[in-house]
Amino acid sequence: MIRSLLLNFVVASILGFSPLDAQSLPVREHTLKNGMKVLLVERHDEPTIACGWVAKVGSVNERPGITGLAHIFEHMMFKGTKSIGTKDAARDMEINDMQDKIQAEIRAEMSLLREKQRRGEIKNMMDPSVRTPRLQELLDEFDKLVKEQRELIVKDELWKIYQTAGATNLNASTSSDRTFYIIQIPSNKLELWALMESDRLINPVFREFYSERSVILEERRQTLESRPDGLIDEAFDAMVWMASPYQWEVIGWPSDITHMTRESANEFFATYYAPNNITAILVGDFKSDAAIALMEKYFERIPANPKGVPEITTEEPRQPAQQRMIAKAETQPNINITFKTVPSVHKDAPALTALASILTGAPTSRFAGGAARPSGRLGKALVLEQKLATLTATYAYGRKYEGTFIVYATPVPDQSPDALEPVIFGEIQKIARDGVTDQELTRAKNAALMVFYMQQENNQGLRNTLAAAEAAGTYKDFLEIPNKLQAVTKEDVQRVAQEYLVEERSNVLLTTRPGAPSPSQPQEVN
Amino acid sequence: MFGRIALSLVIGFSSLTWLAGQALPDRPEKLTYPPLVFQVPKAKDYSAKLKNNIPVYISDDDAIAPIVNLAIHWRGGKYMEPEGKEGLANIFGAQISQGGSLKMDIAKQEDRLEDLAANISSRCGDASGSISMRCMEKDFKEVFEMMIDSLAQPAFAQDRLDIAKRSAREEMEQLNDSVVSIAQYLIPQLMMGENHFMAKRPTTASIDSITREDLQAFHERVMHPSNFVVSISGNFNKKMVMDRLNATIGAMRPRKGSEPSPKPPAPDFARKPGIYIADKTNAPQSMIMWALPGMRRSDDDWYAATLMNFILGGGSFTSKLMKKIRSDEGLTYGIYSFLTEGAYWTGDVMGYSQTSNNTVAYLLRLAVAEMEALKNTPIPDAELQTVKDGMIESFPSRWGKMAAVNTFASEAIAGWPEDWWVNYREKIQAVTPADVQRMARRLLDMEKIILVVVGEADKIEAGDHDRPGLLKDVLPLPMQRLPLRDPNTGKPM
Repeated sequence: MIRSLLLNFVVASILGFSPLDAQSLPVREHTLKNGMKVLLVERHDEPTIACGWVAKVGSVNERPGITGLAHIFEHMMFKGTKSIGTKDAARDMEINDMQDKIQAEIRAEMSLLREKQRRGEIKNMMDPSVRTPRLQELLDEFDKLVKEQRELIVKDELWKIYQTAGATNLNASTSSDRTFYIIQIPSNKLELWALMESDRLINPVFREFYSERSVILEERRQTLESRPDGLIDEAFDAMVWMASPYQWEVIGWPSDITHMTRESANEFFATYYAPNNITAILVGDFKSDAAIALMEKYFERIPANPKGVPEITTEEPRQPAQQRMIAKAETQPNINITFKTVPSVHKDAPALTALASILTGAPTSRFAGGAARPSGRLGKALVLEQKLATLTATYAYGRKYEGTFIVYATPVPDQSPDALEPVIFGEIQKIARDGVTDQELTRAKNAALMVFYMQQENNQGLRNTLAAAEAAGTYKDFLEIPNKLQAVTKEDVQRVAQEYLVEERSNVLLTTRPGAPSPSQPQEVN
Repeated sequence: MFGRIALSLVIGFSSLTWLAGQALPDRPEKLTYPPLVFQVPKAKDYSAKLKNNIPVYISDDDAIAPIVNLAIHWRGGKYMEPEGKEGLANIFGAQISQGGSLKMDIAKQEDRLEDLAANISSRCGDASGSISMRCMEKDFKEVFEMMIDSLAQPAFAQDRLDIAKRSAREEMEQLNDSVVSIAQYLIPQLMMGENHFMAKRPTTASIDSITREDLQAFHERVMHPSNFVVSISGNFNKKMVMDRLNATIGAMRPRKGSEPSPKPPAPDFARKPGIYIADKTNAPQSMIMWALPGMRRSDDDWYAATLMNFILGGGSFTSKLMKKIRSDEGLTYGIYSFLTEGAYWTGDVMGYSQTSNNTVAYLLRLAVAEMEALKNTPIPDAELQTVKDGMIESFPSRWGKMAAVNTFASEAIAGWPEDWWVNYREKIQAVTPADVQRMARRLLDMEKIILVVVGEADKIEAGDHDRPGLLKDVLPLPMQRLPLRDPNTGKPM
């Protein structure tokens, strides 16, 4: 996210549901001449519109060397355009060019340091005390250009224009599969949104590119490294995925962030931010015909990318053996068992969702400010009966190209997390062997249907849900959820347990506190 | 009758007046907008009273799916915990709905809720708590019955209490795991004193000592009709819902000798302004938090203070702190300030940021300079006007129908006047640059600041290679290292 939601004192509203189901959710679809898709849902309860557009690009489109690049756009896209964000567009461009030249020279100096680091002659090439005189000179020169440019910059003008117009919740977020730009506007300001968003798609200027890398490094420290288990999560993902680009975090490796260039950003933008790779979504108080006319007027000026985007062809090979990670961290001890499954749009995904619910209860049964209700087979076995765990949770998490099924549990105090592992595998094997009951399946379907309603409960939530569906496939995948759920049988659930939740597809992470005894070797599971 | 939000919207795009072929504007100033007229919903249009005067805020809408959300809120919380029972309010809050009722044991209730895909949950915090439910309209009576029984006759099942106590202990052990959690427990101690309820934390001993009888005693203290406020939204038969409410908590009478919850006690503590550092080994980043004495929302200057705060650090990317420290200098992912409303005693002007250990001193020097600038130079009128315009234009987005009901209920619990928001926009519009400057001078008095920094202490104090300057030179205030607290005893480590 471009901005942190930490300590933002947002009062969660207790909202109702809209009268929508698969048949009646009135999504209107329209495609512009340049291939940009527009989804519109009219709702006239409140004088606002939840607006957004999703570019189907994320960290999955990166490779080693440019990890973190997809995410930098959610920062750079707020830096303005040719006409917004500067007092002197011509000079501004000149300074950008000069900055790029100096950065190229800086990179050459850094290469020398990298070589010394590789040979062990210096410890850390980023340490200021190892800079060469030439590097220091270049950095000072660069600093001067930054200062000169700062005089011309109209700081965060895009934010200011929106804020003055009464817009709220301006933000952007990046995941492995999509980058999403959102805002909520008063219902009379739709033309402002169309102008601003089309302008930043056709005329973006990535000002302050190099200094923004420091912001992103701080973001990485705050949201990943400072989290007690952040670095372990990152290492675990890297272990889980052998070939898939899901192996690195969206924020990227620090050394890649540090060496990102504006040239590589421009190239990436030209490929992935073309209108034929974008869906815009409007939910709220507008008239669809007028809104479509506005979209045509402003967005059709953006040229399509006739080449389209490169396809992701790397498939995750079938994992040949269980993988394990034993971690020590100052965090709540826990066990995480991650099985590799299928993409979110795969035909087996609804049965996996039902299976998750059968193992640890409906997603609606999680309490704010307390432990989750101990329900489902694992909640009952681990928390209530054997009293080994305080919490159990399961996520059937399908991404665009691959999926995982994650079982997570926290042991009671003074209990090692590895004691939970045979119970978890045991409960899974019972389902694989004996199947589930009608009542369990009905509950799982009801729970999933409730989630389906909850995702439509307010304009912003519905917009976000439609965007996620578009990024992974099409919004119709979302609309079809109730029918697909209805079709799931007990045999389906048993089959997916047999097929995906097997030891060789699993990755086990055991985390204990430093000083606590190490978890023992995995026990034999029957 | 309960009215709807009176809003008249002039929906424009007046038949595509900008004709095709016309050149696009290159700047937003060239656009014109149809007017948007919005009237603030009035609490009285949404409120009703039960027979025993418990207020109900209610919003129904035929256009919404057949789902009901209902919450019963109460005054009373952590401040009513007996000495040595720290953690009781929190556990009580969850166990109201997780411990079953005398009419139905919890395992059976949970099974039934899962059948219906319904939910009952509850919580209790510093000053108030609530129990809430969500279900399909057709299941309302059954789920409501379970919820009301849990509230009125909780069973506090022993095995569930044991689970809650284990969870509380586990949570306690995470106290020193992150720089954020450390700063969050240190700053209330310095603001309110260690003996004030806001600064007290559970210990292993206090959690171990909590019994079912403690939960029952706490429950008796909370169960007074004057403590309650109800909020409902969704699609439902209003008469039926009001009848059920009236037949249950609407028929509740105070038990003999019982009293409504007292007001949370104000801190009685002399703050010692200063720079406080707590060492967290191997922290990649420091957490910085600060607090300055503020005001209550009832203060005439609240609106001017709100604007001053927005300009300083409340306005996200357009704030002065964010522009300078994130955007210009790249020192942080975010820096924010905010006002606390002071529902029960004077509020504060607070702020926070995270940055690398070595850049803490430089970041703070820049932040202090921004605050001083607001005191010394009045903000240009045009700049203030854009901030006011934004607050006024975005005002309607606070008032979705459901949001309105929730706002009214939470304001009633905290004791704010019902129609406080009605003239909010006019009051904001009336603020002048001189008012903002006056607020900066009143509220940003660096001699009164409490500044907490948690991270690698030696690096924090030493400052940065490229941006020299020591932490102790940031402000002429005493600098002190604070020990972390033992998670189990709360004693200094």
